[in-house]
Amino acid sequence: MDIEQKQAEIIDQLVKRASTCKPEALGPLIIEATSHPSLFAFSEILALPTVAQLQGTTDSVYLDVLRLFAHGTWGDYKCNASRIPQLSPDQILKLKQLTVLTLAESNKVLPYDTLMVELDVTNVRQLEDFLINECMYAGIVRGKLDQLKRCFEVPFAAGRDLRPGQLGNMLDTLSNWLNTSENLLISIQDKIKWADSMSEMDKKHRKEAEEGVEEVKKSLSMKRE
Amino acid sequence: MAPSSSSGLTFKLHPLVIVNISDHYTRVKTQLNPPASICASGHGSNNGEAMIQQNPRVYGCVIGVQRGRTVEIFNSFELLYDPSTQTLDRSFLEKKQELYKKVFPDFYILGWYSTGSDAEESDMHIHRALMDINESPVYVLLNPAINHAQKDLPVTIYESELHVIDGIPQLIFVHTSYTIETVEAERISVDHVAHLKPSDGGSAATQLAAHLTGIHSAIKMLNSRIRVLYQYLAAMQKDDIPCDNSLLRQVSSLLRRLPAMESERFQDNFLMEYNDKLLITYLAMITTCSSNMNEMVDKFNTAYDRNTRRGGRTAFM
Repeated sequence: MDIEQKQAEIIDQLVKRASTCKPEALGPLIIEATSHPSLFAFSEILALPTVAQLQGTTDSVYLDVLRLFAHGTWGDYKCNASRIPQLSPDQILKLKQLTVLTLAESNKVLPYDTLMVELDVTNVRQLEDFLINECMYAGIVRGKLDQLKRCFEVPFAAGRDLRPGQLGNMLDTLSNWLNTSENLLISIQDKIKWADSMSEMDKKHRKEAEEGVEEVKKSLSMKRE
Repeated sequence: MAPSSSSGLTFKLHPLVIVNISDHYTRVKTQLNPPASICASGHGSNNGEAMIQQNPRVYGCVIGVQRGRTVEIFNSFELLYDPSTQTLDRSFLEKKQELYKKVFPDFYILGWYSTGSDAEESDMHIHRALMDINESPVYVLLNPAINHAQKDLPVTIYESELHVIDGIPQLIFVHTSYTIETVEAERISVDHVAHLKPSDGGSAATQLAAHLTGIHSAIKMLNSRIRVLYQYLAAMQKDDIPCDNSLLRQVSSLLRRLPAMESERFQDNFLMEYNDKLLITYLAMITTCSSNMNEMVDKFNTAYDRNTRRGGRTAFM
């Protein structure tokens, strides 16, 4: 939530500049956007018509770079290294951060081994430094490092740009959540009714027992007379 | 009579004020209509009087702090209303104000409050009277009628504005929006009030029912909010509304937090604790049963065995 607020101003600025500047200047603009230390969201820039026109021209590599940063990971970059221009260290860092975000999408517990492979880091110390300094202090993830089990538990990770198909998944998850909570509401209501009916039965039982005792007392006292 | 305000002030209301107003109203109402003598006779002839008796209007003053454009209402106190002159008791107001100044030097009189369902013409007199203490007092109105369907608080805040109606500039009341602001201490007391159990609530079933009802309402609120999100996303998918990427990102990050608790360790711990609790309840039940049985056997012996008992154990069942 706060990350979104931090990014909102930067996104606005870049969008304004991108819509007014010439197509040739878009390339350096994209490079600046992808190296900015607090910007993790690129779909607004991707959605601009001037940027989409880059497709097919000589500068289409910049469009690919932007797409890579919006949806891809470090692994994608290594596979396609030939088609995409060399990235600066800032951009490499950002791409690695975005990779961590993508990994956190699927699992909540990320083993160190997977992280080390995905991020091209050889020892645990470097990995932990990267996670702590770049990811947690930047505020894009919040989590706990478990050294004994060698995993990274992520309860919260910032959102990345959405791929077109992900909206459907999100709708499904939301409807599941809705259904679960509705079922829970119904079962709670049943429990409340059960508790009430049980207490009613208990009261009735008590009353009957006491009435029986009263009757026996009366009959005993009558017998005596 | 109540269009929206245009003064640009933001109002923050503390729950203490709401509790005070409703407490004042309840006290006055119960003193006028003591429960033992609900006037059954007054229904026929003097219906009007009975109505006023049923819903007395109470008046009081609200105090707080005004910093720049933010008006924060902290506290309130009661005032005497003189129906003959239709004004509030001025000397009492000033005495109370002095007393409060000693304890809270920052608080100023920000306005006044009353109960009822809508603002009335007579309220303007009181409003004008207060205008010499504070140039623009606020009028807090609490509607004591309980409406179960209504989700919001029945509290409205009015400001006075000079509007030109039929060529004559007149002061009228206008609605303003407000937010509720709490301090930690207030949150504790509001929570306490919300969880009030009935005074004889010793039986386990009523406590269970009350607890479950609390959880039920909380989940219902969560449910309605998730539904709003769902409809918003569905509309976005059908392209009824333009895509707001920032919102979509936040929603996706939120959804990734589900399921919140699914690891194996949680299941194990949860089942262990559940089994422990069941075992202990079972054990307690068995102990009560065996002690009851013991008592019953003793009573049986005393009741039926006076003649045959002589030290030895005889078969008496």
